[in-house]
Amino acid sequence: MKFKHRSAISIASVVTVIVVWQLAGQFKWVDPLLLPPPSEVVRTAVDLMVHGYQQVPLWQNILISIARAVFAFAASILIGVPLGLLMGMSPPFSAMLDPFVQFLRPLPKIALIPLTVVWFGIGEGSKFFLIFISSFLSIVVGAAAAVQGVSSARLRAAQVLGASRTQIFRHVVLPNTLPELFTSVRLSLGIGWTSLIAAELVASNSGLGWMVMNAGDYLRTDVVIVGIVLLGLIGYLLDVLLVLAQRRFVPWSGKDA
Amino acid sequence: MMVTESLEAGPDRLSDALIRLVSVGKVFDDAPSSADQRGRKGRSTAGTNALTDVSLSIAKGEFVALLGPSGCGKSTILNMIAGFEKPTQGSVIVGGKDVIGPGPERGVVFQKPTLFPWLSVIDNVTFGARMAGIAPSVYLPRAEDYLRRVGLKGFERHAPWQLSGGMQQRVALARAWILNPSILLMDEPFGALDAQTRMMMQELVSGVWTLTGTTIVFVTHDVDEALYVADRILVMSARPGRILENLTVDAERPRDIEALAADPRIGALRRHILHRVRQEVRLSIEAFS
Repeated sequence: MKFKHRSAISIASVVTVIVVWQLAGQFKWVDPLLLPPPSEVVRTAVDLMVHGYQQVPLWQNILISIARAVFAFAASILIGVPLGLLMGMSPPFSAMLDPFVQFLRPLPKIALIPLTVVWFGIGEGSKFFLIFISSFLSIVVGAAAAVQGVSSARLRAAQVLGASRTQIFRHVVLPNTLPELFTSVRLSLGIGWTSLIAAELVASNSGLGWMVMNAGDYLRTDVVIVGIVLLGLIGYLLDVLLVLAQRRFVPWSGKDA
Repeated sequence: MMVTESLEAGPDRLSDALIRLVSVGKVFDDAPSSADQRGRKGRSTAGTNALTDVSLSIAKGEFVALLGPSGCGKSTILNMIAGFEKPTQGSVIVGGKDVIGPGPERGVVFQKPTLFPWLSVIDNVTFGARMAGIAPSVYLPRAEDYLRRVGLKGFERHAPWQLSGGMQQRVALARAWILNPSILLMDEPFGALDAQTRMMMQELVSGVWTLTGTTIVFVTHDVDEALYVADRILVMSARPGRILENLTVDAERPRDIEALAADPRIGALRRHILHRVRQEVRLSIEAFS
């Protein structure tokens, strides 16, 4: 299917859902208190931008959530990628860390929230830790797997061209793992974003997650929906940025020669 | 048909030999690789017998084809000369020394181009030179020269995946040959190409070889390919591989495919080889059924 056709269908489908949603509110098919129509959501969004939610401007909540995510995410890449590469290169090292990684990785990170609150309070520390630990683990696993995915044919080709062990790592293994690294970074971004919101929902007094939770307590479903839409859009936007970066930096992704 | 016990295929004077295999045998472990061997002690360790008692010698500057049915172990011989694999019996000697690992003096062209997709064509071709720390002023003119030789002038900045399979294999050829290896090992390098491209590649290799005089070991299962490129053809048996025959291709260079096809002596040689290879294929099929 052509890209143009695909996008046309996608846009039409989104517009249809919004129109039906609007009509459902307009004609009271559903109680607007349970599901406020798009027109009201937009009005609320504008109001939040101008007046803020409980005196906190909307952009401030957006920024603080993004800042938390980006900061912890960057840290998990900076530590997780080298650690994963090391695990991929060294079987003993991998054997040493693997049990912990494999235990923690499938663990729902929400279960760690009570502990993190006890350890770090409800300040920035607990948020950082939760996002970090969830994205970090999946990056480590992804990076380790990426190293092992280097084909022996490619390694042999480098060997007969006279490359030393360190040269092979630097000039073959690293570039060879980049496409997969990008993929695991994308996956872990989603995971990190999810944990951030979970953390903000439970233990926070700022951020989009907090705004959604708090508005729910006061039955401000319009604010809740504004928050949900923003959370979804920002997550989508971050992913698109990563896809663009991937196209820019690893154009050979998925290509073979 | 009898096979002489002492058949050491190759030049009479052993001192001339650049590559020597002495009673080489290779048995592959059927057991999984060492990484997941735990708890498997009771397993039989018979393994697959890939090669038995292979002796051959190849002189400097020779163009030798290893011909045989698939699975006969011809690639294994190549991999042992390259240093990727070790013999389980006998020894593999290159330049008077036992082969202990891969090295740039033994270039390899694989069945697949095996280029580095993150590097441009020119960066692929100059990979070896850059790893060796040679100055760009030295390797760049040489690389241009080799790219012209393989007909890829103007494609320097292309990415490998933007090229056709035949062009990719030409990049691989230039990448291996530019390092001026004393031996070039080719493992069915044109097996994946279409018939026309393959013929062109055979002419190319034959032409460049005439210029450089590199010692070439060329693995193939294609009788016509072996006849066209090589000076000497070693015909191998079905698994476990042995060398059945050592045949000289007596034809002038530069060779012309059409003239070669018309030459009655080559025709007789071709029939003879086909007969032997077909016999071996039949044997290996019977062994499986």
